[in-house]
Amino acid sequence: MVKIPINILVIDDESDFVDMLGMRLTDEGNNVRSALDGRSGLAILAEGWDADVVILDIKMPGMDGIEVLKEIKAKYPIVEVILLTGHGTIDTAVSGLKLGAFDYLLKPAQHEELLVKLEEARKRKAEHEERIRKAEAHALIRRTGGM
Amino acid sequence: MASDQEKRIGLLLVDDEAEFRTPLAKRLDRRGFDVRQAESGLQAIEALKSQQADVVLMDVNMPGMNGLQVLDEIKHRWPKTEVIMLTGQACVQDGVTGIKSGAFDYLTKPIEMEHLIGKLKQAVEMRKLLNDQEMEAEFRREMERRMSVAERLAALGTMASGVAHEINNPLAIINEATGFLKGRLDRSEDVPEGFRQSAELALGKIASSVERASRITHQLLDFARKNDWEIQEFDLVELAKEVVDLTSKTAKEENAEVEVLHRDRKLAIWSDPYQMRQVLINLVTNAIQAVGEKKGGNVWVDTEISGNDVVVTIKDTGPGIPRENLSRIFDPFFSTKPAGKGTGLGLSVTKGIVEKLGGTMTVDSRLGYGAVFRMVLPRKPLVSPVRPDLGPDL
Repeated sequence: MVKIPINILVIDDESDFVDMLGMRLTDEGNNVRSALDGRSGLAILAEGWDADVVILDIKMPGMDGIEVLKEIKAKYPIVEVILLTGHGTIDTAVSGLKLGAFDYLLKPAQHEELLVKLEEARKRKAEHEERIRKAEAHALIRRTGGM
Repeated sequence: MASDQEKRIGLLLVDDEAEFRTPLAKRLDRRGFDVRQAESGLQAIEALKSQQADVVLMDVNMPGMNGLQVLDEIKHRWPKTEVIMLTGQACVQDGVTGIKSGAFDYLTKPIEMEHLIGKLKQAVEMRKLLNDQEMEAEFRREMERRMSVAERLAALGTMASGVAHEINNPLAIINEATGFLKGRLDRSEDVPEGFRQSAELALGKIASSVERASRITHQLLDFARKNDWEIQEFDLVELAKEVVDLTSKTAKEENAEVEVLHRDRKLAIWSDPYQMRQVLINLVTNAIQAVGEKKGGNVWVDTEISGNDVVVTIKDTGPGIPRENLSRIFDPFFSTKPAGKGTGLGLSVTKGIVEKLGGTMTVDSRLGYGAVFRMVLPRKPLVSPVRPDLGPDL
């Protein structure tokens, strides 16, 4: 089976990490964009780039990852977010998951594990999109049927 | 009649003149002192060797070792024993020398009985006061030591987690860079075979070293957390449900059905919710993995009140634990998981946390019939925030 490319937005203030992870995920057939802080990350989503998954660091200067997560989930609820941080505590994990993050990984993460989670997240977003499309189609049929 | 207080005062009366010593001993005995007698300095020291006295009443002028020499010896061997010297009128200077050598006081013969008893009691009181002061000083030293251990542990914890976090970031970069190169190498066809082999070997070594370093940083974070105790009241059933949610993904992968029994019950407990969550996550994850070995099954988490304790059981339908492993399962680094799958610290750390929370942990299992891990926790544990006796000696 051919792998479906995933649109991944990496938000992390460690530029070397963003570069290396980005290069690796691109090599593996994905579309990757990156941002070094929360605001620039949100700007990429705001310009309409269709991200499937956001890989999000938590401890960043300016807006921290939890705030970015809240804003992503408020504005783009079907975009999945994987928290990936070197500053992990079980509390941030739990609060992140409660705020709607898809999963939580501690740096340095096993790449295979990250790939599995990215694929699961992509599938979940695709399912959401499918449901929305069906609901819209259904609404359209009802509207045209009623005319 | 003598009170119990006086009865307990042990007195050694040392004098070479029996006609003076014996009647005095009798009178003091009647006044409630526990009197022993010695007729020479040597005898006195032998008597003290076999049983110490609260106070020694001793004549200065004795043949052989004189009273001042015996005083030196007593103060050297038993510094807490108070000594009152007896001198003749003509030898006041001896009494002064005695005081300088550490005698509590000196009395001149002939002795006025009430005066003597007053002095003996004073000597005992003084000893008691000094003992109390010593105990208080010792207590203060111990508290200061504990405070300083606590401060150092807290500082070390903060530093450990800071270091761990700061190291995790560069480790992640090395990890990704290595993976990137490995990926490129795997996809390149025009690489000489010799170079490919050595490059793969080198990249493999980088990757395994990153893994090793990250195990250490994670242990440091665990260590930092372990010193952070926070005892509060919480609902254990609610926590169990949260843990089942947190482990639901692993459960799905291992085809395990995880259920909290009596889930509508409220069970308030005073403990450390963060440590308890760690304990439950470890035990539930282990149970799920055990069930996974049998391609699926059930895990039940149950809680019940038993007197002043709470009993938590985690039961699984996994393959069970062989009898020979049951006694070793909580040992550090004991693991039956394949190399690289577990460090073997899980159950020993888990048991350690439970014990620090004032509880106990046991396991029961029969090969082929699953396993039951059972924790008994006090509903209100007595946990001091610092346990220097359990921690590293800093």
